[in-house]
Amino acid sequence: MLEALMQINWALLAPLIVIQVILMIVAIIDLVRIEKTNGPKWLWAIIIIFVNVLGPILYFILGRRQ
Amino acid sequence: MQWSVIFKKELLENWRNFKWIWVPIVFIIFGIMDPITTYYMPKIINTVGGLPEGAEITIPQPPPEQALLMSINEYGTIGVLIIVLITMGLIAGELKSGVSELVLSRPVTYTNYITAKWASTVLLILASFIIGMFFSWYYVNLLFGDLSLSQLFGAIFIYGFWMIFVVTITVFVNTLFKVPGLVGFVSILIVILIHMVTSIFGRFLAYSPANLSSYVSAYVHTGEMTADMWSSIFVAIVGIALLLLLSINILKNREI
Repeated sequence: MLEALMQINWALLAPLIVIQVILMIVAIIDLVRIEKTNGPKWLWAIIIIFVNVLGPILYFILGRRQ
Repeated sequence: MQWSVIFKKELLENWRNFKWIWVPIVFIIFGIMDPITTYYMPKIINTVGGLPEGAEITIPQPPPEQALLMSINEYGTIGVLIIVLITMGLIAGELKSGVSELVLSRPVTYTNYITAKWASTVLLILASFIIGMFFSWYYVNLLFGDLSLSQLFGAIFIYGFWMIFVVTITVFVNTLFKVPGLVGFVSILIVILIHMVTSIFGRFLAYSPANLSSYVSAYVHTGEMTADMWSSIFVAIVGIALLLLLSINILKNREI
């Protein structure tokens, strides 16, 4: 398994991981600054951090109160 | 002057609620996800597939043109969904909360109000789509082989009209209903309907904007713009203009 991990070309995947992290950080910053969300805040924090890619997107679309 | 005020206000709002960050990122992620997974699929199967010793699976790698079209396909499904979800509250949300009453009580014409909002959304979506396509193109070149810039620009040009068309449909439905969720649902329904009608009566509807995705495929492979492609683009432009005019009239005659 470790050998397989070493074989992956990280230069290829790094940008993908970086923008995923940016997306997550932006969502977290917004969650901290926003006054109220649809549903409990702590739940959104968990979703943003643990649900990869879709978590922050779901938060931006459904979690923010217009 | 009026128009630019509303337009700038919309841009600022889209910046404040981070749309200018997360929408491009979403388009980038969905644009490069498919090429990357396809490229690594053989390796993934070999390491975690639990194949018997010695079994080798060879999965043919797609040509670069096909790989770029994977991203277009993603934009045709998830991209359209994101567009509708972003745009469904554009006017409906304001009608519901009463913000539009405030805006429209000042001397703002309905034409300015709708076109400015439409333009700000189109700008956001087009920018995200183009950025996403550039990322996809970069990865396709890296992983699958050469693809010229002209092929990329052609794909962006042709499919861009479909993206704008979807935004316009959603803006139009915005003027019909007050509930954003309903607006989203009906917009998706209309897009699906256009696809269905086009595929059923395909022979007579070569000019349907829903064909733009297949024309992207044709252009990327042949590098030629055919008359059908131009007519399809023309129909899309006419449709966009008509839908905008209709939305303005509907909003004008509506009790807010």
